[in-house]
Amino acid sequence: MPIIQLQGLDYQVANQVILQNISFDIHQGDYVALLGPNGGGKTTLIKLLLGLLTPTKGEIKIFNIDQKSFTKCNKIGYVPQNVSLFDSNFPLSVYETVSLGLAAKKSWFSFLTKIEREQIDAAMDTASISHFKDKNLSELSGGQRQRVMIARALVSQPEILILDEPSTGVDIVTQKKFYQFLKHLNREKKLTIIFITHDLGVIADDVNYVLAVNQKLVFAGTSEEMLSCESVSELYGTKSHIVHHHCRGHEC
Amino acid sequence: MLDIFDYDFMQRAFVVGVALSLLTALLGSFIVLKRYAMLPDALSHIALLGVGIGLVTHSSPIYMPIFVAVIAGIAIEYLRYKKKLYSDAILSIFLSGALAMAIVLINLSDGFNASLFSYLFGSITAVSDEEMGITVIFTLFALIILLGSYRQMLFVTLDEETAQASGINVFWLNLMLVVLSAVTVALSMRIVGILLIGALMVLPISTALLYKENFLKTVVIAIIFSIVSVISGLFISFYLAISSGAAIVLVALSFFILSLFINI
Repeated sequence: MPIIQLQGLDYQVANQVILQNISFDIHQGDYVALLGPNGGGKTTLIKLLLGLLTPTKGEIKIFNIDQKSFTKCNKIGYVPQNVSLFDSNFPLSVYETVSLGLAAKKSWFSFLTKIEREQIDAAMDTASISHFKDKNLSELSGGQRQRVMIARALVSQPEILILDEPSTGVDIVTQKKFYQFLKHLNREKKLTIIFITHDLGVIADDVNYVLAVNQKLVFAGTSEEMLSCESVSELYGTKSHIVHHHCRGHEC
Repeated sequence: MLDIFDYDFMQRAFVVGVALSLLTALLGSFIVLKRYAMLPDALSHIALLGVGIGLVTHSSPIYMPIFVAVIAGIAIEYLRYKKKLYSDAILSIFLSGALAMAIVLINLSDGFNASLFSYLFGSITAVSDEEMGITVIFTLFALIILLGSYRQMLFVTLDEETAQASGINVFWLNLMLVVLSAVTVALSMRIVGILLIGALMVLPISTALLYKENFLKTVVIAIIFSIVSVISGLFISFYLAISSGAAIVLVALSFFILSLFINI
């Protein structure tokens, strides 16, 4: 049984079509890359999944529940775009930031329980940020902030993690480490991961499912299939050639 | 020296001043971090419209500004959040529109008088027993709400979209913040003045931010600066016979400048 089902999804703003007839399923444990050109509707699709926007037509089911009736928001962790460009003056420690991931399920006037504090510690351990938990966000690098935001998303123990362009604004080494970390979360923690990326190279090794969106669903399949010139050309509307480099026997 | 407290009006001014300084620092922390620092200024000019309506209709000078500020606050938040209009443009429209209407209403009444002057710049003698009672009760009410919801409010302040995705009702929390700010601004105009209340909401947290602490410590520092500014300002106002609002804001500004040099 898929944990996310989209059927005939349309989204329009003032008669302008943003997304049209999108249908796909995502299963437990999938590691999904969402590709597409700028303005192709990737972020809109993510916002529809999260319930931040309402579809014009069609159906979204999360854990077999209609998105409009879905209330178990803690089952989905979300890391927004431009985390590394986050307001550096905001006076928030790493610990405070991660604890905000529990804010939605906390009732008013309640303190963090021992179990919740353990959840925060566990999320920080998973993201390897425990050693700077008292530092302010302003003291962290872009890559470290990304991990903090992921820890915040993980603290409510979600089953699905959605990330909007997580590699924006960080250098290539940090990017590589970051994608290794995502792979670890998917493989070891059995987390279903959906992330938006422009980096075709990233999807080649790790992800098991690729969705390519340019107003319509252009492609849904494996990364090997996606990396055929036809799919890439169709997605970006321009002739493309994929060049594979091999370094010491490994593709890179 | 301390015969200042022999005067009933000074006792009331201190009670109201301390209560409001606590509240303005707390509310100001969320407002400034949301990049919404023009909100108190807009609300204070809207409260002036309430004063104008009060002068023309001979209705309560306490409740009419509160009523008008709350209604306008709800409209501002509706336009910002639901209609997705630019917040600085909405605030500017409400500020200038309310000020224009207030001036017309004041012209239609007896015109500019000493009472109006105290609304604009604050006066330590202006606080009545009724205002003191309302202010203390409202402060307690607002503190309970803010402390109770602080975690959700902080999440919304940091990142509205992610907070909403996590299941927090962002619109209601924002509305609550704006309504609490509207009432606070309307209550503060007697002691700080319409033209200066914005500064009291913005300066303490702006000063505290210079110390680069975490959120809780930053808010505590802002509250301390706010309370000390108000108490010092009231003393200065009493002994130098100057407007209380101006004295309070100048003390708060001094703390800001001093902190700026300390943290260079």
